[in-house]
Amino acid sequence: MFDVQTLIQLVVSGISVGMIYGVVAFGYQLTFATSSTLNFGQGEALMLGSLAGYTIMTQLAAHLGLPMPLAYALMLPFVLIFGMLQGAIVERLGVRQAIKTKSEAGWIMATIALGIIFKNLAENIWGRDTFPFPSPLPEEAIQVMGIRILPMEVLIVCGAIALMAAVELFNRRSIYGKAVVATSADIGAAGLMGVNTAQVITLSYALSSLTAAFAGVLVGPVTLTGASLGSALGLKAFAVAIIGGLNSGMGVVVGGVLLGITDRLTGYYISSGYQDVPGLVMLLLVLSFKPSGLFGKAKIKKV
Amino acid sequence: MRFARRTMMALVATTALTSAAFAADPIKIGLSGPFTGGSASMGVSMRDGVRLAVDEINKAGGVLGRPLLLVERDDEAKNDVGVQVAQELINKEQVVATMGYINTGVALASQRFYQEAEIPVINNVATGTAITKQFPENNYIFRMSANDVIQSGMIAEEAVKKRGFKAPAILADSTNYGQLGQKDLEAALAAMGIKPVAEEKFNIGDTDMTSQLLRAKAANADVILTYAIGPELAQIANGMGKLGWHLPMIGSWTLSMSTFIDNAGANGEGAVMPQTFIQSPTTPKRKAFIDAYQAAYKVDRIPSPISAAQGYDGTLLLAAAIKQAGSTDGAKIKAALENLNTKVEGVVTIYDHPFTATDHESITANIPVFGMVKNGRVVAENPADLEGANAVRVKAH
Repeated sequence: MFDVQTLIQLVVSGISVGMIYGVVAFGYQLTFATSSTLNFGQGEALMLGSLAGYTIMTQLAAHLGLPMPLAYALMLPFVLIFGMLQGAIVERLGVRQAIKTKSEAGWIMATIALGIIFKNLAENIWGRDTFPFPSPLPEEAIQVMGIRILPMEVLIVCGAIALMAAVELFNRRSIYGKAVVATSADIGAAGLMGVNTAQVITLSYALSSLTAAFAGVLVGPVTLTGASLGSALGLKAFAVAIIGGLNSGMGVVVGGVLLGITDRLTGYYISSGYQDVPGLVMLLLVLSFKPSGLFGKAKIKKV
Repeated sequence: MRFARRTMMALVATTALTSAAFAADPIKIGLSGPFTGGSASMGVSMRDGVRLAVDEINKAGGVLGRPLLLVERDDEAKNDVGVQVAQELINKEQVVATMGYINTGVALASQRFYQEAEIPVINNVATGTAITKQFPENNYIFRMSANDVIQSGMIAEEAVKKRGFKAPAILADSTNYGQLGQKDLEAALAAMGIKPVAEEKFNIGDTDMTSQLLRAKAANADVILTYAIGPELAQIANGMGKLGWHLPMIGSWTLSMSTFIDNAGANGEGAVMPQTFIQSPTTPKRKAFIDAYQAAYKVDRIPSPISAAQGYDGTLLLAAAIKQAGSTDGAKIKAALENLNTKVEGVVTIYDHPFTATDHESITANIPVFGMVKNGRVVAENPADLEGANAVRVKAH
């Protein structure tokens, strides 16, 4: 009954799903690092990116007569900008007030509420049904040593890694990135040293939604797209962020892949009904034994 | 002067009398269905079919001289919302009867409020067998769709007897609909001496079916039997395409949903499912219905033809019952439904005494035919099933 090929097939499938969780969780981590808040509407940010990308891409293909792959590539920068704007809106409407008044949970409510509003907006604009997202790559699976992978799944993994590498590079090389790192390290000191921490927080939200929107157009061709795309993904990615550690970029990626693989393996070897259980069990274990996450650093507060 | 005053009084009197006729107290009918979410295409089609019938009835003068007024509420395919909707429709809106339900779970959760209030419920679409059996005594629940015992029987027969499959895998979702349907399928298969080689489940919203399909493959399944709704069914078909492992899909009527057909694309071609109504003008009444629907809602393909047709027919039966009862009292409408004197020509079939005191199912096993997904639409698997004398199949009494 034990078949290595099936095992590898499941692992491969789990990696591509896990990468998406990882990218969304990466978004959570970006904002948490700088402002100790996160966007509970991250799933909806992904959904909006996916739908906006769908519209831009189909419009480009229809009006300019472009083939799908080219339309997809051209659509990407627009979606990234869209994501940044959406993130900035969330920050300005939901989070800024809460930070100013040092409200403990205000930003939680605000981002959840904004998420619901965005979902309703999406339902009104794009309808309530799910629909297929045109794939830029051929939809036939490729065979690698008997394992079947969709070209799009390979793109998901490469795209996710590329995006996260780009953000990390940005943080290390550019001056804005350095400001982000400084604010993450110590917001008070950074402010005193002349860093405009408010702008940094806005930027981190913009980056966070940018990664979510990008994840949205990566995952669309594989999972179908629609206004309800965000909810389940957002929740799973939140679990991944906790498991990986909310202040570690690498941690969330590893956490995502780990969750994706265990989900698939449980679904196969134990029972498809228990597929969601390992993620929740891992979450409970991490919270009990290492609350800062597998790769997170515990914050030491000097009293 | 006196003459003018007399004319004035006559004018006022006639206006008052005519406006009284036009301002007749409308008969409130509740409508509960999912207008958002994964089941929305069924809910919206049902609603539109019902609205079409209500418009036609009102244009012809209404029922008992009163217009029908639909009170529509979105139950979001969630059991708890359905319960809230039921309570609102009964207590606040005080509806005379309610039409509804796409989702078995929502129906089962909400119906008892109507039963207690003695308000009839016409279930247009939900197929869970337990729905009309929930209240054995003095049952107020009626059904227009082909229930799951009928459908699972048809599915099992098609898979085992007609196509000779011996190793079916059942893929069902985790809702009441999927799980109860799976039980019905198991029973139907057992009656033919076949046991499913794999039984897999998944949640609404799941997009990756790799584990479930690989388990079915490891068990050497030769056919996939499904009990789920559109988007997840599409992911099953797409999952098989991805794995390069194509098995025929035979399943419940939801394989006709536009969300399945559109999202599965080429992977969904050839799927078959029991259908009480296929969007095809096989009789003048059906043609008129399809044309009216397309004109009123500006679509070519009805998103869920069965939901629309059964919603339409349900409204016709309810109107006929209210007319026969001569009142809007729930118990009298129920009695009228159970003893309908007039033949009602519906879209699905011609209804002649569709219900009795003990039988609240308007569809018997001989009425549905198998539909097949072909070129993005649902057609009859075997066109002869709907030709000539077979076009209208009536309830076997």
